[in-house]
Amino acid sequence: MKLSENPIFITRQRLGHRSGVLAAVLIAALIGFCLLLGLVESLRDPAHSFKTPQEAGKFFYGWIVGVEILVIVIGGFSAIARAMTEDRKAGLWDSNRLTPMKPPQILAGYWLGSALREFYMAMALAGFGLLIVLLGRLPVFLWLGTQTLIASTALFFGLLGLLAGMAFQRSPGLLIFLGLFFVWPLTFLAPSRMLVDFLLPVYGIGNLFCDHPPEKDSYATDWHSPPDIFGLPIPPVALSLILQLVIGLFIWRALVRKTANPFQPLLLRWEAFALFGILFFSQHALLWDLWRGHFPDLAKVIKKFNEPETLLPIVHGGTLFIGGLLIFLASPQPEHVRVESLRLGFKNFGAIFSRSAVSLAIALAGAAAVALLTQFMFAPAKSWKIFLVAAANSAEIFLVLALLLEFCRLRHRRRALGFVALWLFVLCVMPFILAGVFSSEITARFSLLAPAFVALSNANECWPSLAGALLTHFGVIVVLFLGWRRQWKKLLESAA
Amino acid sequence: MPEPLLAIEHLRVDFPAVVAVNDLSLTMAPGDVCGLIGPNGAGKTTTMRAVSGLQEFTRGSVRVAGHELASEPDEMKRRLGFMPDFCPTYDQLTTMEFLEHFARAFDVPNRPKRIDDCLELTWLTDKRDSLCEELSRGMKQRLVLAKTLLPDPQVLLLDEPASGLDPLGRIELRKILLQLRDAGKAVLISSHILTELSGFCNQAAIMERGRLVKFGTIADLGQQMNARRMSVKWRGASEPALEILRNTNVKIIETAAAGATFDFAGETDALDELLKTLVVQGVRVSEWRGVGDDLEQIFLQSGAKELM
Repeated sequence: MKLSENPIFITRQRLGHRSGVLAAVLIAALIGFCLLLGLVESLRDPAHSFKTPQEAGKFFYGWIVGVEILVIVIGGFSAIARAMTEDRKAGLWDSNRLTPMKPPQILAGYWLGSALREFYMAMALAGFGLLIVLLGRLPVFLWLGTQTLIASTALFFGLLGLLAGMAFQRSPGLLIFLGLFFVWPLTFLAPSRMLVDFLLPVYGIGNLFCDHPPEKDSYATDWHSPPDIFGLPIPPVALSLILQLVIGLFIWRALVRKTANPFQPLLLRWEAFALFGILFFSQHALLWDLWRGHFPDLAKVIKKFNEPETLLPIVHGGTLFIGGLLIFLASPQPEHVRVESLRLGFKNFGAIFSRSAVSLAIALAGAAAVALLTQFMFAPAKSWKIFLVAAANSAEIFLVLALLLEFCRLRHRRRALGFVALWLFVLCVMPFILAGVFSSEITARFSLLAPAFVALSNANECWPSLAGALLTHFGVIVVLFLGWRRQWKKLLESAA
Repeated sequence: MPEPLLAIEHLRVDFPAVVAVNDLSLTMAPGDVCGLIGPNGAGKTTTMRAVSGLQEFTRGSVRVAGHELASEPDEMKRRLGFMPDFCPTYDQLTTMEFLEHFARAFDVPNRPKRIDDCLELTWLTDKRDSLCEELSRGMKQRLVLAKTLLPDPQVLLLDEPASGLDPLGRIELRKILLQLRDAGKAVLISSHILTELSGFCNQAAIMERGRLVKFGTIADLGQQMNARRMSVKWRGASEPALEILRNTNVKIIETAAAGATFDFAGETDALDELLKTLVVQGVRVSEWRGVGDDLEQIFLQSGAKELM
């Protein structure tokens, strides 16, 4: 089915046009026109602060890019998520699912048809952007490259919008805006080293604006050179496009599966594992050039980034966040397992384990450890303790999350998330509070989060206290495992 | 024996802490109109959602015109129309555009003519250019019915189709359903208002707490009835009339100042004889009638409760 014949696309187009696009497009055109006027004025007036036409062109085109991202990436995400949530609420999503349209056709209709107003606005801005690039005597490749990245990011965020539309009752546009607002400053910490800079794609755009080598030791050095994947340079635009494409494919598969049958899990276990592996091998590959496998001894100090030793703890934080999210998404609903048990007649604990997020947590911890090992592999004598603490701590955190989530879902049903938050607060935050109350640094190390962060940021750490913390956490896991096993057993008995 | 249009076998749907549909089996042939009756929460909507593929079921199978839901969902979707108990419409589209959307989705041949036919069938031709949001509840309901009929499905699942309709709308709906029956469609129609279904259903399926309590043709179920509920009213003293009733093969359900409701287990001739006895014994009978129609009688004796 061609897109022009896709009923959902046609309907979304009609609905978009009926609610009015002209005013929105005119606003975008006026913004573009004002920026173009600004450039013309700065070129006409030699006393203006810009040294060259290129500098002025970059300044005004930078604004175009910013506004375009706001309109098509954030606005598009919000419009797609809103269209989905509204149709789901009205029952139209189900009506469309009951037609013989294939899930990809349904999704394509929403994906490409729900943000047409934002698309027209972006087109108007891109048109003025091209004029600014030409007038500022900038290379057309700057326009082409930035527009390609904006388009791919808009499509990528559109997929996220579909996902959000399926998961939430209301459009979470504000949520994503706030999320990006807080993530944004982080992207400037180590631009060529952080995966998020290529997914968003901050580095690709920034790199396109750096058209000549910067002065030595300037901050721009880190924006100019291409990123390295295990030491091999790769064009940043290509890296962004590849990453968005690969992750987008996983999201697309999840969406198709959910559209075909909303009762299936969002992520299959192998997908969660593969996604995690791709993300963290890419992240460690970007960092590899710093230590070249000899962590904590730096192979090359990056300019204007004075504390490279904070990079691994930041990456570790990201590992925990993404791993936790994947465990949450892949963790089965107990009711779903009960129904499956009724349908397939399984009663053994092995079947539960293979469906549970606990086995996934173990696999994710393994993948995280292997990815982390790339930073340590050539200096085992010096860094084996750091590696062991970091790997063991990641494994413990993933296991606690998986066990706790399933235990609370089984035990507390609808109130599960509240109890998960409570126990995570007790395990992760309380030790820090108690450390403050009793002025004892040791207490803080018993936080579930502490050992890996401490070991990765301070190579001369006191190991016995960290080992003690890890053993305590292991005890917590054993207790949780027993409770978790008991709850699953009860559920299986109820399915008999 | 010809293939049934709709065959549901041992359907079971589980919800947390409750079995919403339990071991439900029924079959429908072309021209069958089956009233799916039951109190609120009996599992009627869940059954329809499971049959249409919107609700995952634990066990069982659903076949529409020989196509299995689990293995041939696309073939099944072309042959089955589901009208939910609310009206999902795109408020900012005209009725014509709304129908066009689904006609494209079902890849309906000769689209404009089919849309016109469906609009005419549901008396919406003069509303073809009206926005959906401008339609009354009843009109929206008819529009959704028109949408359901667009691909000319062989089996129709109508969930409480008359719930928002005024009396005139209900009469119109009844006419449409009779037309569908005559066109050889199998229609499964749910309601908890029995009078809605009387007159055009030739089958009844009574559900309670997820289970199918009774299923069969109205005629068969009528024959299976072990008692007929009757209402009698008289003028004058009650005691002689009640005395006669007590001495006959009846179970008195309720007595009033000058009347009674009772279950009579026996042949029609015996019932006639009872009336004769009352009159001969001097009871001035002013009213003598069965309570409700066949469907109501069947339901009342099914054991299901809480019906409106």
